[in-house]
Amino acid sequence: MHTVQLVIFLFFFLLVTVMGFMASRWRRADTLDSLDEWGLGGRGFGTFISWFLIGGDIYTAYTFIAVPATLYAGSVVGFFAVPYTIVLYPIIFIFLPRFWSVSHRHGYVTPADFVRGRFDSKPLALAVALTGLLATMPYIALQLVGIQVVLEIMGIGGGENASFLEKDLPLFIAFAVLAAYTYASGLRAPALIAFVKDTLIYVVILVAVFYLPSQLGGWGHIFDAASKSFDLFNKENADAIKAVPPQAQGKGILPPPAVHWAYASLALGSALALFMYPHSLTGVLASKNRSVIRRNAALLPAYSFLLGLLALLGFAAIAAGVKVDNPQLSVPALFDKMFPGWFAGIAFAAIAIGALVPAAIMSIAAANLWTRNIYKAFINPAATPKQEATQSKLVSLVVKFGALIFVLGLGTQDAINFQLLGGVWILQTMPALVFSLYTRWFHRWALLAGWAVGMVYGTLTAYNVPVPGKPGSHFGGPLQLVPFTQTKGYIALTAFVINVLVAVVLTLVLRALKVANGTDETSPADYHADAGDRGVEDVLEGEPGTAPTTG
Amino acid sequence: MSEPNTRRTSGAWAVVAVLLAVGIVLPLLVGLYDSVEPRLGGFPFYYWFQFLLIPVVSLLTFIAFRLSVRATAKDRTRFGLPAEPGEDTRPSGSER
Repeated sequence: MHTVQLVIFLFFFLLVTVMGFMASRWRRADTLDSLDEWGLGGRGFGTFISWFLIGGDIYTAYTFIAVPATLYAGSVVGFFAVPYTIVLYPIIFIFLPRFWSVSHRHGYVTPADFVRGRFDSKPLALAVALTGLLATMPYIALQLVGIQVVLEIMGIGGGENASFLEKDLPLFIAFAVLAAYTYASGLRAPALIAFVKDTLIYVVILVAVFYLPSQLGGWGHIFDAASKSFDLFNKENADAIKAVPPQAQGKGILPPPAVHWAYASLALGSALALFMYPHSLTGVLASKNRSVIRRNAALLPAYSFLLGLLALLGFAAIAAGVKVDNPQLSVPALFDKMFPGWFAGIAFAAIAIGALVPAAIMSIAAANLWTRNIYKAFINPAATPKQEATQSKLVSLVVKFGALIFVLGLGTQDAINFQLLGGVWILQTMPALVFSLYTRWFHRWALLAGWAVGMVYGTLTAYNVPVPGKPGSHFGGPLQLVPFTQTKGYIALTAFVINVLVAVVLTLVLRALKVANGTDETSPADYHADAGDRGVEDVLEGEPGTAPTTG
Repeated sequence: MSEPNTRRTSGAWAVVAVLLAVGIVLPLLVGLYDSVEPRLGGFPFYYWFQFLLIPVVSLLTFIAFRLSVRATAKDRTRFGLPAEPGEDTRPSGSER
């Protein structure tokens, strides 16, 4: 046990918990169903404060734990998170303003709402909603892993010889805290504690990326140490590496040509996927007018810089001589080793709270998707607000149980795979959602068929990827050979291409057969409307720009 | 007041498209930057080049944003919207 760390950690944790519960009492009048509670990223503040708050949301367990862990583990494609966050913003720029406009004209608050309105198709909307629910679960699982590893480093939970229950104790604690927190306070809690959370996160990030390298002999030394360590590993395991054809890779600090497409497709696939998630899109709708999205697209990349430096802490851990079997422990172990106890406590609190908040937001967004697009659309159209609130609360629990199953079933050695698996699924909703912002050419049944084929291909392919070193195991990584090539690529992107091909071919067929394609309730002008135009309602309490979490 | 002329904004949008395409494609061409040398401040080329791409793509996106503001305003009339959004006459992106 690390007493000082634990005391500091618990202090901050209790502080934000008390704030969270107070938040729920403070302005109780609204129902949980009201998605207008969303405005987490910005609440009418000026540019600087909005920027500060949005940034705080971007740094989650993904940036603090999962990304550095891939570098620590010597994955040659581990740095893909940086090009991912670079190409993300031009992509946002292209299609999100149209989504903003049409949603504000028609009162859509979820991606499934738009698909139903555009295609007059309940099955397609159901497919989009179900995919959102499913894909959110591994994403939340990643946050659970973040809290789990922090607890483990502080000595909560057992060591190697611990019983099953003791070993997973940190995970169950993480789950219980998250569940209680969301259930009691809904979205108000994260909004209220944002300042505390973000201040902690920035302090920790700045100290970590500037103080640690100076203590470890500078970045040059850190890169050399990592490089040397990987070379040694490759030498010692040369036979094993050669034995696994065809694209076997040793460890390294940069990707050899054989994995260039793997690297690029991970970056592109992740960037395309991010804004299909229910929590991200709903966040975007909270921005004040359509050009805020484009302006923020130009300002937000500043965050990628700190994200990249955080990622390199994986190498810093190697330079510091951190030796852990589970790479996810590398950054917490580095903090434990290099920081005085009190500051390590602050850092762990920052990571845990920084995982808790996005996990809460994601589970509520997924629950609202259920209530709005499945429960009300199919099961109980005449639901009262009270019934809706009950549904949302229950389903937010179900989603978190799903996340727990992902953690227990897939293991936590490679947590970034959780986020990448979510991407495989959510990207299959892109044709229905994004292509149809521009054209009604696609046929609704063709889009549904493309989605189904993409989902089946993506799931089966991901299922058949073994964990490295464990033949016969499943969901071991995001990469697989692209069909008809000898190149590995991100499964999400391959599935997406197949999805589009199916949709195009079937659209040609269905159009030739003149099968009805539903009534479009939107008009061309809807895609250009801005705040102040007739019929543009504040779907959510109109607030200045927000961005969703990347984690 | 701009005339409802469909051609007038297509040039601006073409420039926007090129700027964004560069911002998306350049970071994905891994073969351009997968080398250790030349180093900068201890960072291998591979790493500092990607860090350098962040402000570069940010700048491209910002230029695209400036161009899009004008083109968007001109486009509005084409789609039967008033030239300016109703009551909201603040410059786009200004804070309240």
